[in-house]
Parts: sequence; C-alpha cells; structure tokens
Amino acid sequence: MNCTKCGKKEVMIEKKHSGQRLCPECFISGIEQKVLKDIRKYDLIEKGDRVMVALSGGKDSVMLLDILTSLQDRGIIDMMAVTIDEGIHGYRKDGVKIAAEHAQRLGIEHRVVSFKEYFNISLDEIMALPSPRGACTYCGVFRRWLINRTAREMGATKIATGHNLDDETQSIMMNYLEGNIENLTRLGPRSHPKSDKFIVKIKPLGEIPEREVGLYVVAKGLKVHFDGCPYSRESFRAEIGEIIKNLSKKHPTIMYSTLRGFDKIKNALKKEHSRNFTMENCIKCGEPSAQELCRACVFCQELEKKKTR
Amino acid sequence: MEFTIINNKKTEQLSLKKNLTIKELLDEIEKPLETVVIKKNGHIVLEEEIINEGDTIEVIQIIYGG
Ligand code: SF4
Ligand SMILES: [Zn+2]
Ligand SMILES: [Zn+2]
Repeated sequence: MNCTKCGKKEVMIEKKHSGQRLCPECFISGIEQKVLKDIRKYDLIEKGDRVMVALSGGKDSVMLLDILTSLQDRGIIDMMAVTIDEGIHGYRKDGVKIAAEHAQRLGIEHRVVSFKEYFNISLDEIMALPSPRGACTYCGVFRRWLINRTAREMGATKIATGHNLDDETQSIMMNYLEGNIENLTRLGPRSHPKSDKFIVKIKPLGEIPEREVGLYVVAKGLKVHFDGCPYSRESFRAEIGEIIKNLSKKHPTIMYSTLRGFDKIKNALKKEHSRNFTMENCIKCGEPSAQELCRACVFCQELEKKKTR
Repeated sequence: MEFTIINNKKTEQLSLKKNLTIKELLDEIEKPLETVVIKKNGHIVLEEEIINEGDTIEVIQIIYGG
C-alpha cells in the first residue's frame, strides 16, 4: 500500500486512528502545515514578534526551531535562542553543542545560561546535598526563572517551547490526579501572564505526538540530541507518561481526546478556580512573584542552609 | 540469512534462520516500537517491513524515560 496522499511507494508512517499512510515528503509537509495552522488558530504569533526559542538541542526544540525558521524567512518574525545548562554531568554537554550548531547554521543570536552562574550551584551539586526535593522540581523552577529573565534581556516578545502532545497530556493528567486544579487553569497553547515582566509563552507543537516529533527530525535529517536525562525516571511525570503511552497502544486517539476534553472544561475551570492575586516584585531578585520571595529565591535560600549544614 | 543491525550506535552482524519483520525484531531485542524510529538501508520503514539478506537496520531511540 502506497502513500495515501501522493501514491509514492516509500511509506514511513501509518496513522493508526485515521488509516493514513504517508511518504516522508507528505508526512513532513503535513506536520509543518498542522503546526502553522495551530499557530494561527491559537493566535500564538503576530507579525513583528521577536520569538526566543528555548533550545535544548533535543528533538522537540530542534523541530520547533526548524518550523519557526520558515516564519523568519518570510519576514514575519525575528528569532533567537537560549539554551539552559542545568549542570547535569554526561547529559547536557552534547545538547548544548548541538543547539549551538543549529543556531549558528541559521545565523540567529544564541545564549547559553547556566544554573551555576545564576544560582551558584549546578543541578548535580543540588542533588548531592542532604535530602533534596525531586530534581525536576528545582530544575523546573530555576529553568523558568532563567528563560524568562533571558527573554527579557534579549528583548523577546514571545518564548516558544517544544512541548509536544504527550507533554501536554501528561500535564493535564498529573495536575488532575494531584488535585492541582489551579495549575490546570494555566495549561494551554499560550500563557496569559499577570505581570508584563513575564514574557508570553507559546507551545506550537502542543498537538503533535512525541513519536511524530521523533519521526520528523529523523526524516528531515536534523541533528538532535537523543538522550534521556538521568533524573527523569524519578518523576511522577515519567510514571504518568508511561501509563498514557501504554494506553495509547490500544487506544491510539487517547491523547487527542484528553486534550479536547480539557479544552471543553478549561474556561469553566478558569472562572471557578483561577486565583486572583496581584503580582509584586520579588524583594531579592526583582522578578515578578505573588509572594515576597519568588520560588527560585526560596529554593536558593533553602539550598544555602543545606550547604552550610 | 544475515543482516546488519545498528542499535544505539553499535553495529552488529546478525544471522537468523528465517526472515523477520521489523516488529518481530523489535520484540526480540525488547524495544517498544513507540520509542524508536527504524531505518532500513537508510529509509524509515513501517513495523510490517520484512528484513532481507544483506539489509542494514538502524534502530534510533527517540523517546527516553517512561
Ligand atoms: S528530567 Fe527533570 S531534571 Fe532532567 S532536565 Fe527534565 S526537568 Fe530537569
Ligand atoms: Zn506522499
Ligand atoms: Zn526572586
């Protein structure tokens, strides 16, 4: 059986739920069109935006960079990139190198910023301290802080991240199962920050399944860092991810339906559950925060105590 | 029948009594299809593809953790 779209013999994917079989060219152009359509549908990008891509060098962010490049080439946006170096031995270095190569190839401004230089401690050093929290907790808080700070410094109007459909579905299920309804109200393809010091975040790949992201970069011959973070197994997210991936084998549309269902209840959730609070500036670092100290600064203080113990 | 497998950047020569499909090979080496992309002689192929004498099969792990 040949490509359902063009009839070519070389089929590389069969979409289980639609029965569509696609050759590399039709698969690639189909995905690109889908992402560009979602960008319009969810109003993710406006003409003149300065879009900073959070570029880890992994498949998701490299694919995102590749697709957004077409918007830059058409003069619709300006692009730049940031890579966060958390300080994870044996893992992050390759990603940073690949990210830098892509940025250089495309001629876009690229910055590498590390936990060590901003928070005076690497993730590995944090995890070697007595009774730390989960690695992903520090990692998430520090990374968000750094990405937002860097975006402001680089004059970005949008931050684009490579979250894919699997990530989004995991976030929905995780927050639901943990009863974090307020966090649920903040999910979605674009953020609506309460402070203008927070740059708007967009997720153009939010409806592309993770496996298709992998297929895309391999089919396009894009160089990416395929490797797992040594801390990822410890997380609740990984457990949920495993469950959803297993469910998807027999129920290939389950991630789409989870997302669609969430879309339907999201507005109602927002009305009932989003907290109204005013954002002040963190007294230590000046970033916006609902509390006196932002979470990054709270963690830094906590870590200082652990260090001197 | 003999073929070459590149798995995790390690190249090996395998010989089998009968022709396997990609899916049977993945079951054999315990790799879930959902986490990999398979190339046969440089082209991405489906799980039903049959491996023939002299083929080069590349297993590219695209999803880690979970
Ligand atoms: S898996 Fe956790 S620790 Fe590793 S990079 Fe992701 S958030 Fe950070
Ligand atoms: Zn085709
Ligand atoms: Zn702070």
